[in-house]
Amino acid sequence: MSSPDEDEVPAIQTGPKGLINDWRKFKCEDQDTPPSKKELLRQMSNPQSDDIPDRLNRKMSVQEYEMIAEEDEKCLRKNQQQCMKEMHKRLSFGPKFDSVVELDSAEAFLEVIEKAHRLTLVIILIYEDGVKGCEALNSCLDCLATEYTSIKFCHIQTAATGAGERFSDNVLPTILVYKAGKLLGNFLSMTQHLSEEFFATDIEAFLREYGLLLEKEFAACPDEEDGGVEVE
Amino acid sequence: MGEMEELRKEADNLKDQITEARKVVQDTTLQEAVAGTTLVGRVQLKTRKTLRGHLAKIYAMHWGTDTNCSKLCVSASQDGKLIVWDTLTTNKVNAIPLKSSWVMTCAYAPSGNMVACGGLDNMCSIYNLKGKDGNVKVMRELAAHTGYLSCCRFLNDSEIITSSGDCTCILWDIETGTEKTIFAGHLGDCMSLAVSPDFKMFISGACDFTAKLWDIREATCRQTFSGHESDINAIGFFPNGNAVITGSDDATCKLYDLRADQELITYQDSGIMCGVTSLAASLSGRLLLAGYDDFNVNIWDMLKAERVGVLAGHDNRVSCIGVSSDGMACCTGSWDSFLKIWN
Repeated sequence: MSSPDEDEVPAIQTGPKGLINDWRKFKCEDQDTPPSKKELLRQMSNPQSDDIPDRLNRKMSVQEYEMIAEEDEKCLRKNQQQCMKEMHKRLSFGPKFDSVVELDSAEAFLEVIEKAHRLTLVIILIYEDGVKGCEALNSCLDCLATEYTSIKFCHIQTAATGAGERFSDNVLPTILVYKAGKLLGNFLSMTQHLSEEFFATDIEAFLREYGLLLEKEFAACPDEEDGGVEVE
Repeated sequence: MGEMEELRKEADNLKDQITEARKVVQDTTLQEAVAGTTLVGRVQLKTRKTLRGHLAKIYAMHWGTDTNCSKLCVSASQDGKLIVWDTLTTNKVNAIPLKSSWVMTCAYAPSGNMVACGGLDNMCSIYNLKGKDGNVKVMRELAAHTGYLSCCRFLNDSEIITSSGDCTCILWDIETGTEKTIFAGHLGDCMSLAVSPDFKMFISGACDFTAKLWDIREATCRQTFSGHESDINAIGFFPNGNAVITGSDDATCKLYDLRADQELITYQDSGIMCGVTSLAASLSGRLLLAGYDDFNVNIWDMLKAERVGVLAGHDNRVSCIGVSSDGMACCTGSWDSFLKIWN
């Protein structure tokens, strides 16, 4: 769960505990918080702390509740600004790539899946020269690789996989999507999902539909009024 | 000290009796009962809509239930807003500014007339969506808990149940803004609650590693389910109301049968080492969608206890999930500020 790469607070949890964590982090980074309180917050964030033995089942301390009761409007605004900053930071992380990598063997294939950074999405195209759709898909990926630099795009010919029988022509081209060693998406006969002529934007839209691509644009300006409408 | 020892022995004795009684009624295991069932094939869900508008992490979401609002849902975000969405058009029906940005939970009333939320302010705020002049205003602020509000669920327009970090759950009278019943018994922060399909009972999951079934009118704890080795973060009823599903920091989900009063099965995988923070069952109860601390949602075949899919992606840091009341779609809320509708 915690890792040296995420140089922020110790545990990254979602749910109410995640929110409590976010609040502690916010208070720690806030200049207006006195150092003694910051020390308390750091202690509470560390589950291994021996100073507070009986609090195993309780997630927040009395002093922390008191701190919250003292918060005001200014805090709300400070928090909102901090959120925007965090959001921008989080959207670009991890190793970067710029082109499609050719894999020449089953070993190379396995290595790429296993050695990739746990936050990096790995998209592998299995193709064969002469099979319909493979060349077009290859050029689409070349295009996407320059745009989505946090994704590792690869391609491999069926002959190189050593599992040629598994990938008969009628399931090619196939796209496999991995992250942290896990198979997230498995799209055989990719062209059945696309029209006769397709472009990089079609592949992009397809992957986005399955939640596999990052949303590039997000939310409107901070002063969005109530009742604003967005039609898709 | 002699008396303490006696009492301790008595408690242990009672626990043994309960274990024995449970063993006696256990005539088969779930695995044996479903031996003939085929595994559900690989499940790959597609994003149908993306709801854009929040400016920060989504902490919670809840679907509407009434036929008029089965396509509506409400979400709570760190940006201090509650947004009610029309998931078909992706329009924002209401954008409600909150007094606190630390909101852990939100709920949609079954009638569709109100929404509620709460968090580190220890209060449950009720908002009337159908006010006369069209403006959404705070209707009530239910304050009595001495700890954070981890979850809230409406029974109807005049009653709501809340669970809190103060280890209790409370049934409120919304009209008067007062506590009708306080459900005490948990030894750790209550993290989540769910109401039974017939609205007569509710279950709560807590940081004392147990789940409790409460009778709302009798105001008693009917059953306690243990077995988890860490905090229970998420809880839900199996669609027919006869079983309970829990998700815990011990990286597993468990299914407990109410009538047999015991655990039927554990959903675990040696590859999963992080806690479960949210869960939702499909309408038929065949699939369980569970959200984990590594930001992925694993889809389990509830009968065969095997993973049949993952809802994951590049930056799809899922923090909450919900299945719509008509079972047609599921919604995931993410730390990247978007909500996605999948099926």
